[in-house]
Amino acid sequence: MITLKINGLETNVEKGTTLLEAARFLGFPVPTLCHMDGLHPFGACRLCLVEIGEGPRIKLVSSCTYPAEEGLHVRTASRRVMRARKMIIELLLASSPQSKTIQDLASAFDVKQQRFRQEFEDCILCGRCVHMCEEQMMAKAIGFRGRGENRSIGTPFDVQSEECRLCGGCMYVCPVCMLRCTYTEPEKAICGGCANLSVPCIEKEQFDDVMCYMEPCVACEITKD
Amino acid sequence: MIKLSSLEELRDLFKGVRNSSDDSRLQIIICGETGCQASGANDIIRVAKKYVLQNQLLDTIELRITGCHGFCEMGPTAITKPQGAFYHKVSTNNISRIIDAVIADDYVEELLYRDPKTGIKYYKQEDIPFFQKQQRTIFKKKQEIDPIRIYDYFSNDGYNALYKVFSSLSPEQVIEEVKVSGLRGRGGAGFPTGLKWELLANQPSKDGKYVVCNADEGDPGAYMDRSLLEGNPHSIIEGMIIGAYATSANMGVVYVRHEYPLAIKHLIIALRQARDMGLLGENILGSDFSFDIRIVKGAGAFVCGEETALIRSIEGKVGEPRQRPPYPVQKGIRGKPTVINNVETWANIAFIINMGAAEYAKIGTEGNSGTKIFSLVGKIKNTGLIEVPMGISINEIVFDIGGGSAGDSKIKAVQTGGPSGGCIPVSKFDLPIDYDSLAKAGSIMGSGGMIVMDEHTCMVDVAKYFMNFLKAESCGKCYTCRKGTQRMYEILDDISKGKGTLEDLDLLEELALVVKDSTMCGLGQTASNPVLSTLHYFRAEYERHIIQKRCDAFVCKELTGAPCQTGCPAGTEAWRYVAHIARGEYEQAYIAIREANPFPSVCARVCDHKCEEHCRAETTGGEAIAIRSLKRFITDRVDPSIYKPERSSEIQKAPVAIIGAGPAGLTTAHYLSLQGYKVTVFEAEGNPGGMLFCTIPSYRLPRETINKEIDSLLDENITLKCNVALGSDFTIDQLFKDGFKAVMIAIGAHKSKPLELENEDADGIYPSIEFLKAFNVRGEQLARGRVGVIGGGNSAIDAARTALRQKDVESVTILYRRTREEMPAFAEEIEAADQEGIHIQTLVTPLKIITRNGAFSSLQCCKNRLGDIDSSGRRKPVPIKDSEYSIELDTLIVAISEDSGVDVIGPALSSKIDVTDRNTIKIDDHTLLTSRPGVFAAGDVVTGPNTVIDAIAAGKKAAIMIDRYLHGEELDLSVEIKLPQVYIEPIEVETEDISTIDRIGIPRISVEKRRRNFTEVEAALSAIAATQEARRCLRCDLEFTQPKEIVEECLVNEGGRR
Repeated sequence: MITLKINGLETNVEKGTTLLEAARFLGFPVPTLCHMDGLHPFGACRLCLVEIGEGPRIKLVSSCTYPAEEGLHVRTASRRVMRARKMIIELLLASSPQSKTIQDLASAFDVKQQRFRQEFEDCILCGRCVHMCEEQMMAKAIGFRGRGENRSIGTPFDVQSEECRLCGGCMYVCPVCMLRCTYTEPEKAICGGCANLSVPCIEKEQFDDVMCYMEPCVACEITKD
Repeated sequence: MIKLSSLEELRDLFKGVRNSSDDSRLQIIICGETGCQASGANDIIRVAKKYVLQNQLLDTIELRITGCHGFCEMGPTAITKPQGAFYHKVSTNNISRIIDAVIADDYVEELLYRDPKTGIKYYKQEDIPFFQKQQRTIFKKKQEIDPIRIYDYFSNDGYNALYKVFSSLSPEQVIEEVKVSGLRGRGGAGFPTGLKWELLANQPSKDGKYVVCNADEGDPGAYMDRSLLEGNPHSIIEGMIIGAYATSANMGVVYVRHEYPLAIKHLIIALRQARDMGLLGENILGSDFSFDIRIVKGAGAFVCGEETALIRSIEGKVGEPRQRPPYPVQKGIRGKPTVINNVETWANIAFIINMGAAEYAKIGTEGNSGTKIFSLVGKIKNTGLIEVPMGISINEIVFDIGGGSAGDSKIKAVQTGGPSGGCIPVSKFDLPIDYDSLAKAGSIMGSGGMIVMDEHTCMVDVAKYFMNFLKAESCGKCYTCRKGTQRMYEILDDISKGKGTLEDLDLLEELALVVKDSTMCGLGQTASNPVLSTLHYFRAEYERHIIQKRCDAFVCKELTGAPCQTGCPAGTEAWRYVAHIARGEYEQAYIAIREANPFPSVCARVCDHKCEEHCRAETTGGEAIAIRSLKRFITDRVDPSIYKPERSSEIQKAPVAIIGAGPAGLTTAHYLSLQGYKVTVFEAEGNPGGMLFCTIPSYRLPRETINKEIDSLLDENITLKCNVALGSDFTIDQLFKDGFKAVMIAIGAHKSKPLELENEDADGIYPSIEFLKAFNVRGEQLARGRVGVIGGGNSAIDAARTALRQKDVESVTILYRRTREEMPAFAEEIEAADQEGIHIQTLVTPLKIITRNGAFSSLQCCKNRLGDIDSSGRRKPVPIKDSEYSIELDTLIVAISEDSGVDVIGPALSSKIDVTDRNTIKIDDHTLLTSRPGVFAAGDVVTGPNTVIDAIAAGKKAAIMIDRYLHGEELDLSVEIKLPQVYIEPIEVETEDISTIDRIGIPRISVEKRRRNFTEVEAALSAIAATQEARRCLRCDLEFTQPKEIVEECLVNEGGRR
């Protein structure tokens, strides 16, 4: 057994337990996007950052990939953690604002505005689908391609993989697209869970049922394209 | 090749090889590395071989091809032995002469390295300044060894360390040695190598262990690892065998970039040789230790230099970092314990063992022992690979080894550590080079890239460049690294295009800090360094991009337009008139000049031509277009009356008073008059012209030219009142009482700064302005006998050359505290003074003024030497002890700097106008308003002594501001970027013709004709010369003005070239 302290609370965990598991076991909320029980930890979304170490050796690590160490001091919501987490959410919002999951995250962490140029990307490359396909479906039909800004998920050369059984597991685990707001068509919109925020759309008649998080309104922005 | 099966056999081999090697043998050593190959080394080697064979010199001279000699910029290079001479830029034509010279124990003088600044010739390699301050332990070996001949390595102590380790050291002892040596990882992070090895040695080894050489060198501009692998692959192999022995590893991998074909080739040959000789493989040298090395070629992803990504790449997976722990030492390649060290670290091992750890630890500083190889590149005189002891200062590297700036421009910063590193400004150049100091300064050691940057480098652009690199080279796994680098690039790109805001800067910094904090691997954690370090040290430059929409380095295209136009304070479209001259359209050229500048003929003679300073023809490595000479050509040729300025038909009621009829005051008066204002100009002297008239000597600027130009500006709206001075004859209060609605002060800076030495008021000592004014205004010849002039600026040269032309003068000497290169005066003026026989004594500081009967008699001085670089980027003069001497002089002119007249400050203050502590009038930079409403100020009285064109520019701006003020409009103008607007069709010229033409010189009348009189020295260009010079222009404007159809046509016809 390994003894460590999380937010000042001492706990014993088995060897190999990750900091995320330990923190959640104690009931500390740690947000995640790329993590999923049953899949290998990947550490791509960086939302689960926690602070470890003391003095000059304090650093942030992704709790989903970091194994518990003897005597480690972990802080799940220090000022430094929150600053990084908010910036990550702001970056997510700037790139994929139409995702319900991301809107809710923003709402929960009190991120009310993003300051970058607005983009509308469907994928945050969290890799859940890739790992689902490989680890649970044993197919390896899809994978990462390219690197840096050209990174994407798909099959080699976009040829449909013979391994793919069209199981839909990839779609099922997607944290971003499964509840995407359908913006301009009010009857299809599922967005509306963020009523706790001030919303420019509310004033517009055709969006009576729709409440979009963004300011300026994403729905209005997106119709321009 | 014999396979060695015991230590004794190896020892016998050493004996045999080393006895046969003879140092007195004649040798010619040619560098055969990629750098020199690129400049033609292969052909030279072929020619040399042929020459040796044809002349049957095989027994006389040995021809050897070795690794890099270091001075890559001067390649191809050759060294001779036993002379030790260093030949640079060798060609196929002269290699035979070098061979003959070696045989005759002679030198080929013109191929020896000559310092471009001092002109000193060097006969020996180690005397050359580039090599002098280096400590070349690793490199020295490299230039002795033919990398593909293992016997060459043997005869240079090769595998000695291996012998020592196998014969007398246990693995623990080897690790102890490496620990004692203090060697830290040369890959950049600086983890102690001995400690790393110990961790690996302590791992259980049932499945085997790996040692890896990381040769995935990806920093732009860095190539020291390549050079080591190409030049001395056996040293890496030896290091790795010792490392494996110490840690009981049985497998070795060299991970090298696919784009290093020569390194791979040499490594393959070296590995085969080592294997054939029994130095690698099963039971090495008959012991029970087995170890072999294989090569893995990387496909060139930058991130694969990170150890966990490198491991995955070796395993055949996508190079993507993973979480540490577990560290590679615990779980590395295929789950087996692995140690990864950089090429340079491995190359150091044999030296440590041979030299002894304690001895090695003495090199460098405590905690940072040994030497470090840097690839020194950028805007520097000597580029190449250098090896220096740790703890050497950046100053020493950049200025002593690197020789300082490549051109005239000042060095601004150095970038270390590649894309993960940061920029260190010149003010921090006394920083010692070691892991900890660099990290503290916001950079990193990295693997040793060192890029020197000068004023022509834009820091925003540098950050943008690295971010562009990183956003493509990030593996993309961590969201913050992938998106963060993209977003940082986006913001930097906006700023470089003038679209940034100050909030963007804060956001950029916030984001950079989070990216640094929140990513998994070293790439992401250091990706922000280029942004953070430039923001920290060069924030003002970022702000200039944002607020003033100006890129001081003239790099950011969207802010710069044509550099000549942006460089001109008055915004003259130099490219436009140069283009017209090339087409022979002289009148249009004149109009282009006159539209921006009411004093074209004056500026054609005395402008400091900032346009030329930034000319792309120069900043890209050639010589600037002689824009000022072209302007002179036009103004001499075209009748000014062809330009009819646009006059407003309105009549403005509010009268304006302008105090001072210099270039600033007259410019304002002219532009206000065009708008219909009634302007009264008050001038203290008897003539208008201000500084043009008082201080600029007539041999540079004939009085006729000034008068003509001023007359053309005066019209019925302008009343000129001479011989009335502010303070003594009228006050500002009075002007307002007399009904003037706005007042502009443009009285210039008319007082020289004193030396602040005792007896400075003695007879025969004059401040330069007083001296020049006395002559130019009143015709008094104050200088007599032997004249000394203290200073190195234009004012000093003017005074010296004017003194030379006075009747009682015997000789003139200029005394300056630095060297001629640092003199702020225009180079052409210094040259002309020199031609006229003025002595220039440099590195002199005056200490004491000696008087006889109240009159000046001699000056006591001391000699200086140049010391360290100060914050201005110039070397500080440092007095040499006991070097005092005295100079007998009759007249002394002090020209060290100018102040605005102190006599003005009194009246200024009493009129409630604030002044600065530099005795200039305080204004709002944007509106030119002084602290008193309705009173503006411009020109030297605001800036201190400055150039004519700056005064004109300020005068133009003042006219706009006064007009707006009188109309009650907002004064703060939004800044607009001036981009070329008019399309002028270029003349078809053969690029080959143009590239061979040099910049045209300034035509001057002969020294005899001008030395003792005031005839104008400079003459105008001929029409042929002017056309040719104008056609050299690179036409930066076309990028903005060329119609789309033409661009597309070019793309089609020229295969994409423009």
